[in-house]
Amino acid sequence: MQNNPDTALIALKGRIDSGNASEVEKNILSQLEGKPSVSVVLDAAELEYISSAGLRVLLRIKKAWSDLTIRNVNSEVYEILEMTGFTEMMKVEKAYRVVSVEGCEEIGRGANGTIYRIDRDNVVKVYNDENALEDIRHEQEVARLALILGLPTAISYDVVRVGNSYGSVFELLNARSFSGILAEEPDKMDWCVKEYVELRHKIHGTLVPAGKLPDMKDTFLDWANYIRPHLPEEAADKLIRMVEEVPRDNHMIHGDYHTKNVVLQNDEVLIIDMDTLAVGNPVFELPSMYNAFVGFSELDHGVVKEFQGFDYETSTTFWKKVLAEYLGTHSPSKLREVEDKTRILGYTRLIRRGYRRNISDSEEGRASLEYWTKSLLELLGRIDTLLFSPDELEVDASAENLDEVQSFVEERLEGSSCSAKTMMKIAVAVEEIFANIANYAYAPDRGKAGIRVEVLNDPDSVTITFTDRGMPYDPLANEDPDVTLPADERPIGGLGIYLVKQTMDDVRYEYKDGKNILTIKKSL
Amino acid sequence: MSYPVKIDLHMHTVLSDGTDKPEEMPARVKEAGLELFSVTDHDSVTASGILRGILRPEDPKFVSGAEFSCRDEQGKYHILGYGFDPDSESIRELVGKGHGLRMKKVRMRLDFLRDRFGFDFPPEEIEKLLGLANPGKPHIGNLMVRYGFAETKEAAIRDYIDKARIRSEYIRPEEAVSGILGGGGIPILAHPIYGSGDQLIMGEEMDERLKRLIGFGIRGVEAFYSGFTEKMSSEMLAFAEKYDLLVTAGSDYHGSNKLVILGDTGCDNASEGPRGMLRFLDEIAQKN
Repeated sequence: MQNNPDTALIALKGRIDSGNASEVEKNILSQLEGKPSVSVVLDAAELEYISSAGLRVLLRIKKAWSDLTIRNVNSEVYEILEMTGFTEMMKVEKAYRVVSVEGCEEIGRGANGTIYRIDRDNVVKVYNDENALEDIRHEQEVARLALILGLPTAISYDVVRVGNSYGSVFELLNARSFSGILAEEPDKMDWCVKEYVELRHKIHGTLVPAGKLPDMKDTFLDWANYIRPHLPEEAADKLIRMVEEVPRDNHMIHGDYHTKNVVLQNDEVLIIDMDTLAVGNPVFELPSMYNAFVGFSELDHGVVKEFQGFDYETSTTFWKKVLAEYLGTHSPSKLREVEDKTRILGYTRLIRRGYRRNISDSEEGRASLEYWTKSLLELLGRIDTLLFSPDELEVDASAENLDEVQSFVEERLEGSSCSAKTMMKIAVAVEEIFANIANYAYAPDRGKAGIRVEVLNDPDSVTITFTDRGMPYDPLANEDPDVTLPADERPIGGLGIYLVKQTMDDVRYEYKDGKNILTIKKSL
Repeated sequence: MSYPVKIDLHMHTVLSDGTDKPEEMPARVKEAGLELFSVTDHDSVTASGILRGILRPEDPKFVSGAEFSCRDEQGKYHILGYGFDPDSESIRELVGKGHGLRMKKVRMRLDFLRDRFGFDFPPEEIEKLLGLANPGKPHIGNLMVRYGFAETKEAAIRDYIDKARIRSEYIRPEEAVSGILGGGGIPILAHPIYGSGDQLIMGEEMDERLKRLIGFGIRGVEAFYSGFTEKMSSEMLAFAEKYDLLVTAGSDYHGSNKLVILGDTGCDNASEGPRGMLRFLDEIAQKN
C-alpha cells in the first residue's frame, strides 16, 4: 500500500493531545503537501491515546482529504472514535487480536480459506488472501442476511490477525462437520443424506430480496465465456445458450455446498462458509456438489480422501444417495439425466478453474483438462437443456424399462392419498400405455418416451402424460371391443386401451408439435 | 423576518491568538460568503469596537462578541457572549478582570522561566509582550524560539513553559455569565463537548454540566462547531431541545494559526436551523 502513488500512509505514534496536536498536524500536513487527491491512510498501530485536540486534527484532515482511513486502532482509541461519531465519518479499522493456528485441528476448507478449531467452543476461518478484510465483511454481511431469512448458520463475532492474513472467529460448540461424521461413522450415511438434502431444500426455499446477492447464472455465464477459447465454436455457443436459457430465480444458493460446510452443533444442523452465497435456479447448486464428491477426484481418487476425509467410494455413494433423495426417485434414467446436466456445469467449472490456475503447465494438469473437455463435449453432443423437472422421466421406449416407469410413477404418488386399489388401476393403465408405445410407436426403430406425473390436491388427483415422437396414432379412435363375445371371437388388440378408459376418470389424446400426447387422469 | 443562510459566530483576531487584524475581517467574512458574523477574542471586546466603527451597511451583519475562559471546582469552560454593549460597566469589569488575570499569569510564567531555567529576556521584549492585547503561552514560546532557548514553539511550551504549576486565579463561570447578562448580552457555552478545548464531555457528564450552568443563567450552546462530528452536533442539539436552549454555530477560526476554515461550522443553512438557532437570530436582530 505504501508504494501506491494514490495512497499516503502515515504512522501515528504515542499520544496525541493538546500538547502535541498542532505538531502532529503540521507533520501530517507536510507529508501530504502537494497531494490534494490522495487516499490518506493513518496507521494507528502505535497510537496509544488521542484527546479531543487530536480528534480535531483528524477531523480537519478528513475535511481536506475526504478519503481517509485510520487502521489498526486500539480498543481505547476506537471507543473514543465511536463515541464521538468519528467511526461514522471516516473509515476506522480496529487493530486485530493476533491468533495462531499452529497445531490446531483443521475442520473445514473452502474456496477462500481454511477453518481451524482454536479451542473447544471457537473456530477461526483463516482467509487465503492477505487483503481479506473486504471478503470478511462480505461474508459477515451475507451470513447475517441468511440468518435473518431464517437459515441456521453461525455468525462471525470477531476478526483476528493470523500470520499475514486475517481470520474470522465463530462460536461453534462441539460442532462436527458432516465430512467428519461420514469418515468416522459410516453407518450414519443415510441420516447424513436426509439432513443434508433437507438443509438444501431449506436453502433453496429461501427467497432473497432482489439485488442482495449475485445471480449464479451470471457467474456460470462468466465461466462459460472464460473457457470458450478452449472449446469448438459450436459447442461453446451451445453451452452459453443452455446457461442463458435457465430462468433467473431469487432463491438462495450456497455455492459451495459440500459436507465440510455442513456441521452438526448439538442437535442442530448448520450451514457455514457463506462467502459464496448467491441466488439462482437450483440447477446451479448441483455442480459444486458433484465436483466436491466426484468431479475433483474422478482421475485421482485420493483427492477426496485428502479433502473430505472419507474415501472415493463413500463419496460417490453419498452423491448418488443425495441426488436420489433430492429428486425423490431411484429411477436410473432420471438420476442419469440430472447427473449429466450437472456434469456439464461441473466440467465447465473445473476447466475454467484449471486454466485459471495454469494447471496445463504440468502433464497431470493437461491430462485433467483433456478429460474434462472431452467429457463436456460428449455431454454437449447429446443434451440440449440444463433444465429438468423432478416430475418428468424420459426413457428409451422399450419394454425392459417398464419397471422403471412404474417405480417412477409410484414414487411420485408416495405421500399422496392414493389407495392400494387405485394404485393398482393406475399401474395397469401405465403398463398398457407404455407397452403400446414400446411396441408400436417407433417400430422397427427405437425412440424415447416421456412420462410426466402431476399430483394435485383438493381434490386429490393425478394426471399422467405420455409422449412419444413416433408415428401419429390415436388409440382412442378405435371402436371399443365387444367384451361380450367369447374370447376366441374377439379381435386381437384394443382390449388394453379399453381397460384404461374403463378404470381412469379421463383419457385424452392429441397430436401436437410432432408428438403423440396421451393424458390420463384419476381421482385419488 | 428573513434569516441569514451562512453564519459564523466564533473567530479570533490578533487581539487574542488569531493572525488576522480586525480591519481585515469584513473582507474575509464576505469572501467566505457569510451573512452574519461575530468576532470573539479571548477576554477582549476591542475588535468589536473597531468593527462597529468600520463596517458599512452593505457588509455582512455583525454582532459583538467575546470568549471568556472560566474555571471552577468542577472544571473548565469557555463562555461566549453576544450582542452586549461593549462599553457597559458590566462588560468592562469582566474584560478587565480577565485581562488582569492573564497579565498576572504571564508575569508568573516569565518569573518561572527565569528562576528555574535561567531564561532571561530584555525588558523591552517583556514590555512588548505585556503590551499585547492577549498574551499567552504561544507568545512566550515564540519569544523563546527567537532567543534560542527552544527549537520550536511547541517544544518550548512542552519542555519548559508547561513545567510550571501556575496556581492562577480564573474567572468563574457564574461571573462570566452574569457579566455578559449585565451588559445586555447572551451567554453561550462554547464547543461544549470539548470543554475548555481538550476535554471530551458527553452524555451524563454533559447533562450535569449544563444543569449547573443553566442555574447560573447560561442561555445556549454552540451546537454547531468546526471540530464536531455530526454525532456530536446532534447530541448538543438534543440537549438544546431538552433544556430549551439557544443554538449557535462557530468555526473558531484563528487565521493562519490553525487549519480551521472561516465559515466551517457544520451548519450549512442557519435559516433552516433548529428552533434554538432561529430564536437566537431573532434576539440578535432585535438588538441591532
